[in-house]
Amino acid sequence: MKRHHMPSSHVSHPNVTPLIDIVMCLIIFFMLIAKIGVTTGAEEMTIPASLMGVDIKDMANTLTLNVRPPADERSKEPLVTALVDGAKQELKRGQLVKVLKHFRYGPAEAAVANNRNDNPNFSVNIRAEEELPYRYLQPVLEAAAEANVKNVNFTTRKSEAFGAGALPGRAGGGGKP
Amino acid sequence: MKIRNMGSANLEAGPNMTPLVDIVMVILIFLMLAGRFEGQEHFLVSPTPIAMKGAGNMAPPPGYVPNPPLEIRVDSPTSDKFVATVDRIRTGDWVSLASQMKKLRLGMEAAGKKTDDIQVVIAPTKSTRYKHLVDVYQASLEAGFKKVGFAQAR
Repeated sequence: MKRHHMPSSHVSHPNVTPLIDIVMCLIIFFMLIAKIGVTTGAEEMTIPASLMGVDIKDMANTLTLNVRPPADERSKEPLVTALVDGAKQELKRGQLVKVLKHFRYGPAEAAVANNRNDNPNFSVNIRAEEELPYRYLQPVLEAAAEANVKNVNFTTRKSEAFGAGALPGRAGGGGKP
Repeated sequence: MKIRNMGSANLEAGPNMTPLVDIVMVILIFLMLAGRFEGQEHFLVSPTPIAMKGAGNMAPPPGYVPNPPLEIRVDSPTSDKFVATVDRIRTGDWVSLASQMKKLRLGMEAAGKKTDDIQVVIAPTKSTRYKHLVDVYQASLEAGFKKVGFAQAR
């Protein structure tokens, strides 16, 4: 009797098509969600948590200031760092005002030519350590006022620690830009 | 003419996917490591960050009477506690502060004041911790006040 053989499989290695499908989906997901190569100058620190707050989508017209207590406790000036012209800089009080005025009104040279670029929508994001005493925050706020910066945003961690029922009648979030 | 042994050469008809899988995996790992996600932080927005003492740049118009700000005095008896005092309210809990300030705002509105005109000024001491100021700030926002800022340290 003639026996029929099972047809031999044409491909001996595993089928990778489902793997490629899933991996492609993951890549598209990461490309859409993740921010790559975009830095605001925000540094790692323990910032305070809050239930209230708004999201700022457009960070193009903002400057992030990292505020820490000085290494030397006798110093009255806080340690303020920011990303200016692509480089991290430590800013003393005078420099801070100068930098903020630069962003607010344009380069100082333009002032001489009476051709300043007024930028009233420029805002400052303050990232400060949660344990920072107010005496170190006040000079930063004063510098912003001196540079006539209208909007100051205080960066906080989104927190659910208070619980959704912390405030009656609401589940979290809130505040208006 | 007969052609022999053609069968074994055409076992794999599709293109070789191995280099594609290699590259795609490298891209995936890069994106997973280099990516930074949004949504972990948000902002408390202040249009009036600090109320400076002394004269301003502009003279007020004749007959202008400024609205007195609503001052919240914040003290830190210890580094992990705060006491906020505003009008007759005195509390160390931001949720309680928010609900009591809401009643205060409604009372002010009933007396004819517009919420938009009320400037809330947080007046801390030099040693008050930033986290407590954030609590007082968000209590003011939760109470419905729009203009919240800080005063110079007491």
